[in-house]
Amino acid sequence: MKRFLAVILLLLCVTGCTAQPKSYTADFFAMDTFMSITAYGADEQAAQDTAVQCEQRVNALEPALSRTREDSDIYRLNHADGAVCTVSADTYAAIQAAVQYAEFTGGAFDPTMAPLTDLWGINTDNAHVPEQAEIDAALARVGYQNVELLGDNQVRLLNGAQLDLGGIGKGFATDAVAALLDGSSSVLATLGGNIGAYGENPVRDSGNWVVGIADPDNNADYLATVEVRGLSVVTSGDYERYFEQDGKRYHHIFDPATGYPADSGLRSVTVIDEASTRADALTTALFVMGLEEGMAFCAANDIAAVFVTADKQVHVTDKVGAVCTFTFLGEEKGYTHAQ
Amino acid sequence: MRSKLKWGDFVIIGVVLALAVAIAAVLALSVSGDQLYAEVWQDNELIERVELTESTDRTIDLDGHNVIVLSGRTARMQSADCRDQVCVRTGTLTHAGQVAVCLPNRVVLRLTGDTGEIDAIVS
Amino acid sequence: MKTKKLTLCGLLTALAVVLSLVERLFPLDAVVPVPGVKLGLANVVTLFALTRVSARDALAVVVCRVAISSLLMGSVTAFLFSLFGGLLSLIVMWALLRAEGTFCSLLGVSVAGAAAHNIGQVIAAIIWMQTGAVVAYLPLLLVMSVPLGLVTGLTCAIVLSHMKKIDFNV
Repeated sequence: MKRFLAVILLLLCVTGCTAQPKSYTADFFAMDTFMSITAYGADEQAAQDTAVQCEQRVNALEPALSRTREDSDIYRLNHADGAVCTVSADTYAAIQAAVQYAEFTGGAFDPTMAPLTDLWGINTDNAHVPEQAEIDAALARVGYQNVELLGDNQVRLLNGAQLDLGGIGKGFATDAVAALLDGSSSVLATLGGNIGAYGENPVRDSGNWVVGIADPDNNADYLATVEVRGLSVVTSGDYERYFEQDGKRYHHIFDPATGYPADSGLRSVTVIDEASTRADALTTALFVMGLEEGMAFCAANDIAAVFVTADKQVHVTDKVGAVCTFTFLGEEKGYTHAQ
Repeated sequence: MRSKLKWGDFVIIGVVLALAVAIAAVLALSVSGDQLYAEVWQDNELIERVELTESTDRTIDLDGHNVIVLSGRTARMQSADCRDQVCVRTGTLTHAGQVAVCLPNRVVLRLTGDTGEIDAIVS
Repeated sequence: MKTKKLTLCGLLTALAVVLSLVERLFPLDAVVPVPGVKLGLANVVTLFALTRVSARDALAVVVCRVAISSLLMGSVTAFLFSLFGGLLSLIVMWALLRAEGTFCSLLGVSVAGAAAHNIGQVIAAIIWMQTGAVVAYLPLLLVMSVPLGLVTGLTCAIVLSHMKKIDFNV
């Protein structure tokens, strides 16, 4: 009986003694989306300090990247009527990155789509399918070649072009968070559709962060997971921001070639990359390219991407296995893992 | 009569009952690792924190702007008076780490609890 | 002698199967919200076989009873669970019966047997369903096994003393 009691006491100890790392989560709204940054530390104060530092960095970037705030650099640039503007270092770096990825993707990602998105009015009360003539007029002003980077933080927009860094803004902010961390901190940042998983995950034995890739039909659920560390995972899908007109769904990812929402047979594209800005631009570009062209582009450029198609197939590029552990879980939801 | 109770009978009964209590105690301690909570935030303020159990059945109405339904170990945004309806489309939350956000009303519904299968969902 | 024993075992098995069937008329799990909770009337037969026949024959009775009653009304899982429970119960009662009369009475043996039956069932469920969650039912099952074990033990003791009175020997 005594020995029995000793065993019970031992069991109680084992369950009670495991030290838990302290975490702090900062939830906030910025850049038109919901953000959540969880930091881990030796004590609650340390965790909170890290999380709040990250939040402040993101908030500080908002005026540098926003298009709608009248005090922002981009707003000034878009209303300068083609004159040369001096912008902040952050803004200049973001524009430079956007143009670089536009060139890299052959214009499939384009940071000058603002006239089109405004025309369609997605996520406003004025969402509607525009006339073809209106689309043609807007398309004439689209083209990343119209962005002139002059050095010394000076930028000029030609031919009535309008900049919109929404396509890389959250990625840029995620990278800013990563740059802030010294590598030893454990931080999981969810900035809208961008996730940055940095440092060692103290709550898992593997030390990795397990990120679920949303099910397009029910995006509270996931149809695959990737186990990552020190990487960013970014998804673009047609399922979050859209409107319906005459029974047809119009989403927010536009094809710069047609001026219409990209009709590529894809539901979502996820990119796993060290640089979140790059991943952000690539998800949009790959979504526009479609499955075949997108897979070929990934193979040629060594990109880790997961494609979810409208006919419920999940395609994974070769690179994915090299950077993370991918687990397919969509079978019950009717998805197939295309090999 | 072979049913005359001896001291050993009480020992046997005692051991059986002690075993029952011990198992129940160990279970009660380990079950706490399986807890799931639904948190409702509005304007970065925690409005409500409810433990979700099999018998949970509750509706939280945020002045008609957002209606949240907690049912068993699940939670969902049933309706919202906002334009985009992203939170309603998010669907039913079942695991710790899942979040439904109503951006226009600045309402966040999130499930928390011990480490689940995932740390975050990218969407 | 051999024929007599065989007949007796057959009778005991038949009785155990009938008791298992009768048990179904008392849906105990409607009162106690635990799946698998039973009166354990068939345990009376096992106990009787152990005390008056032999362990080997008791084993045969248990296996036959479980197999037949499962065929009549159960599923494969019910068969496995009952078999596990029945065998563990048999081993525990067999061991304790050696100390019966000095250390404890038939009642204690029966309670231990009932508890062992439940533990065996739960172990089988864990193995079969690959989940430890079923352990949650064990505390209540164990508590229930005390009064139920006492009832079956008392029944067996009454039967045995009655047989002694009428000088019936097997």
